[in-house]
Amino acid sequence: MAASPPTRKGITRRQALSAAVAAGVGVGAARLLTGALQNLNRTATVVASSSSGGDWVSPLGSESARVMHLLRRTTLGYTPAQLDSALSDGFGRTVDRLIETHPVEPPALPEASTPGGRFPVGQLQQWWIDHMLATPTPFAERMTLFWHGHFTSDYRKAGDNTFMYWQNLTWRRMGMTDLRSMLMRATTDPAMLRYLDLATSVASNPNENYSRELMELFSMGPGNYSEEDVRQGALALTGWQPPRPDSFETVTVGVKTRRLPVYDSQKSGVFNPRRGYAGQVTFLGQTGRLDTEGVVDRILAQPATAPFIASRVAQQFINGSPPASLTASLGDAFRRSRYDMRTLMKALFTSEDFKAANSYRSLVKSPTEFMVHTARALGDAHLSKLIATSGAGMGQILFDPPDVGGWPNNESWISSNTVVERVNFVTSALAQSAGNLPSAAYAATHHLDGVVGAQTAALFNQATDEKTRWFIALASPEFQLK
Amino acid sequence: MTDEIGINQLKRRDFLRAGLVFGAGAAGLAAGYAAVPDAFARAVYAAKQEGITNDNVLVMIQLAGGNDGLRTLVPLADPVLHDLRPKLAGSMVSQALPLNKGYGLNHNLPGIKSLWDKGKVAIVQGVGYPNPTFSHFESIRIWETGDPTRRQLDGWLGRTLAQAYDSNGHPLTGCACGATDVPGALRDLQATMTVIENQKTFGFTGGSEVEAAVGALYKGTPGIYGALFDTAIATATETVATLRTSSAGYQPMADYTDNVQLVYSSKNQLAAALQLAAELIVTGTGVKLLHVTLGGFDTHYTELSRHDDLMVYLDSAVSAFYKDLAAHGKAEKVLIATWSEFGRRPKENASGGTDHGAAAPLLLIGDPAKGGLYGDEPSLTALDGTGNLKYAVDFRSVYQEILSGHLGADSKGILGASFDSLRFLRSPAGAA
Repeated sequence: MAASPPTRKGITRRQALSAAVAAGVGVGAARLLTGALQNLNRTATVVASSSSGGDWVSPLGSESARVMHLLRRTTLGYTPAQLDSALSDGFGRTVDRLIETHPVEPPALPEASTPGGRFPVGQLQQWWIDHMLATPTPFAERMTLFWHGHFTSDYRKAGDNTFMYWQNLTWRRMGMTDLRSMLMRATTDPAMLRYLDLATSVASNPNENYSRELMELFSMGPGNYSEEDVRQGALALTGWQPPRPDSFETVTVGVKTRRLPVYDSQKSGVFNPRRGYAGQVTFLGQTGRLDTEGVVDRILAQPATAPFIASRVAQQFINGSPPASLTASLGDAFRRSRYDMRTLMKALFTSEDFKAANSYRSLVKSPTEFMVHTARALGDAHLSKLIATSGAGMGQILFDPPDVGGWPNNESWISSNTVVERVNFVTSALAQSAGNLPSAAYAATHHLDGVVGAQTAALFNQATDEKTRWFIALASPEFQLK
Repeated sequence: MTDEIGINQLKRRDFLRAGLVFGAGAAGLAAGYAAVPDAFARAVYAAKQEGITNDNVLVMIQLAGGNDGLRTLVPLADPVLHDLRPKLAGSMVSQALPLNKGYGLNHNLPGIKSLWDKGKVAIVQGVGYPNPTFSHFESIRIWETGDPTRRQLDGWLGRTLAQAYDSNGHPLTGCACGATDVPGALRDLQATMTVIENQKTFGFTGGSEVEAAVGALYKGTPGIYGALFDTAIATATETVATLRTSSAGYQPMADYTDNVQLVYSSKNQLAAALQLAAELIVTGTGVKLLHVTLGGFDTHYTELSRHDDLMVYLDSAVSAFYKDLAAHGKAEKVLIATWSEFGRRPKENASGGTDHGAAAPLLLIGDPAKGGLYGDEPSLTALDGTGNLKYAVDFRSVYQEILSGHLGADSKGILGASFDSLRFLRSPAGAA
C-alpha cells in the first residue's frame, strides 16, 4: 500500500487509517453493521453503528439519552439512583440543578496539619476520589477537575501537600463563580505562587513565569499579547509571598533537623509591598500604576479573553474542536454576564451543539472520569485506592499534571499503553467488586445507551456470565467515550 | 511512587480471582485477530522495499521545559557571562569540563565528556528558528512538527514513519519509551506507534484469553476515535508478544539506575526508558525511531541545584545506554540526539533561575556522530530584543542530516524543503 499524499482532512485520514488497520488485521471495513437491530442478551436492544461514514448512530433525539449524555459529561458518570433522579427531572431541570446547587465540601483532611505538608500525595489523591464517589454534588467535582487542569499546579514543585489540598478546596468553591474572582484566587493561591514562581518574583528582578502563563494558558491564549506585556505584567505582579505559618515544628528528616511550617487553617498568599513594584507599567495598551487586580482587569478588558475561556470549556464539554461560531456566541454571553461561569455553562449545555448528533461520543473520558464512572456503575465505593493508583498508566495522576498546560484531551488519552491500562483497571475493579454485581443488561442500556458496535454486541451476547458481560461493557470502546 | 509496584501485584493476584469466562464465540471472533502478528511480522522487512537501505536507529531525548544551553555547553572565557549571571556563572565556569579554550561541558557530564574524548559527541551550537516563541507549547510544537509557521500538524518523526517505514503498519518501528501518550514528534495519523511506559507491567492482566477478547472487541470501532482505539489495541498486543520474546533474549550489560536524587523530582524514568530502548534495539525487534523524555528543565528558580541534578541523571542514563549498546555490538547503529523547546535567558532572575530563552546547543551522541563543535558561537553581547541569544543554525538543518545522513530517508519530502547542510555524521548515508 502506498503512503497517501500528505493532505490533511482530519476525519478522512482517520478513516483511511481505519481501513488500513482493518485490512492489516484481516478484517474488511465492511465489518461495520448497517443500522441493524440486534438482540443483546434478550433484554437490551442494540443499535449498531451505521456504516455510512462509520459514525455512531446518535440517540440524542430522545430525552433520556440526552440526560445520560449530560450526566456522563458533567458528573463523572452516575449510579442508577442518580440517573433515575435526573431522568425524572428531565434535561432542562437537570441542567439547572447542576448549575445552581452549591458544592458540598469534602470532609476535612486530617493530614493537612502535617508540618510542611509532608504527607504522602496518595492520601490526598484518595481523599479526593473518595469524595468524587460519595458526593451528592458531582458536577462540582467535574468542575474542580476541569480547573485543576486549567489553573494547574503539581505537588512536586509546590513542595507542600497542604498547599495542594487548599488549592483543591479553593477550585471547588470558586468553580462556578466569575472569572475575575477566579483569576485573583488563582494568582494568590499558595501552591500556584510556588508552582509558577510568583512567590520569588520581586520588583528588582521579576520572574516572568506566572505573567506569561496567566495570559497564555489561564485567560487570553497565545497571540493576544506581546513579549513586552509579559515583562510588564511580571513587574506589576511582583510582591506576593506564601502565607505566614501559624507555628513551626522541628522535625528530624533522616540525619537532618528541619524547622517546618504548620498551618491551623487555610490561607491565601500575602502581598508584601517591599517586594512589589510601585512604578508605572505599560500593560496591554494602558500605562499607569497597576496592582494585581489592575492586571486582572486589563486582561478582562481584552476581547480575546471571553472566547478563549469559552473555547477551553467547549473543548472539554462539547467536542475537541468546537465551531468558532459557538465559542464566539458563548464568549459573548460570558462577557455580557461579567464573566459569570453559571451563565457560560448553562449556555453551553443548552446549546444545539451540545446535543447535536456529531457531539455524541465525540469526547474521550479522562482516566479519572472513566474510573469513577466504572465504580459508580458497579455500585462500588471501595475502589478509591485502586483508582488513585491506576491513573498513572493511563496518563493522569491527580495533583501531578504532565506540565503547566494541564492534561491534554481526547486523542492524547489513546495509546498502546493507556488502552491496556484501561482494560486492566476493569479486570481489577471487577475482581475487587464484592459479590453482587448489578445487571449487566442494565449497563448496556443505561451506560452504553443501547448503542454499541457489532463486535461489542457479539461478545456481550456470547459471554456466559454476568462478570464477563460487565467486563465487555466496561472495557468496550463505547464506555471509553462520552 | 512505590505504589506502582504494589498495584501491579494486586492486579495479577486479583485476576486469579476474577475468573472471567468468555463464551465459545469469543474464540471465533478472536480468530481473525490471531492472524495479526503475521501481518505485522512481514512489515519488519517492508522498509527495505521502500528504499530504506540501512538499519540505523535514532533515539531522541527530549529535555522538556527548556534546557539551559549556557549551562550545558559553558562559555569559559566570556566575562559578560558573569555580569549576566552573578549567582549562576561562577561555579559553572570554574567546574566545567573543558572541550577547548572557549567551551566546556557541564561538570555533571563526565560520561558524555569521555565519549567526547573518543570523538563520539557532536555539539551543534546556537540551534533555533526565526522569530522564536517563548511559549513552551508553541515551541514544543514547532520542534515536534519541524514547522515554525505552525501549519503542520504531524510530527517530523511521525511523517518519517508514515512516508518511509510504516506502510504495512509494523507497530514497533516507532516507540515512545517511558511515556503514556504518543509524543508529538512521532504523531501522524498514517503511522502506527507504540507507547510503553514500563515494560515490566506492560501487558493484559489475565493473559491470552483477555488479550484475544479485547482484540476482538476493538475491531472496526465506529466514530472519530475508532481507528485510534483499534490501532492502539492491535499495537499493544503485538508489542506484548514482541516483549515476551525480547525480554528473554536480553541481558543489560550496564548499570541503569533511576535511583537519583532530584530536588524537584522528575517523574520520568529516563534510565528505565533507555534500558527498554536498548532491549528493543539489541533484540532485533525492527525498531528505528525511539523517543524518551526527561522533564524538569523549566528552571525558573533555584537552577543551581536543580539543573545539576538533571545533568547528573542525563549523564548516568546516557552513559549506561551507550555502554550497553556497545557491549551488545550495536553502538555503531545508534545515534542519540537531545532536543529541548528552547534555551534559557542569558540573564538570571531573582529566583536564582532563568526565564525562557531561545537558541541553545543540541547534543548528538554515539558512534555515528563525528565529534566536534558545529554551528556558530552565540554572542552574549549581541542579544536580540528580548535579551536572548540569536540562533545561528536552523533546527531543521539538524533534522535534515539525521534523516538523510543517518536514516537514509527522503529529508526534503519529510521536511518540505532543504536546509543548510551540517555534516556532523562520520559516514552520512547520502555520501556513500
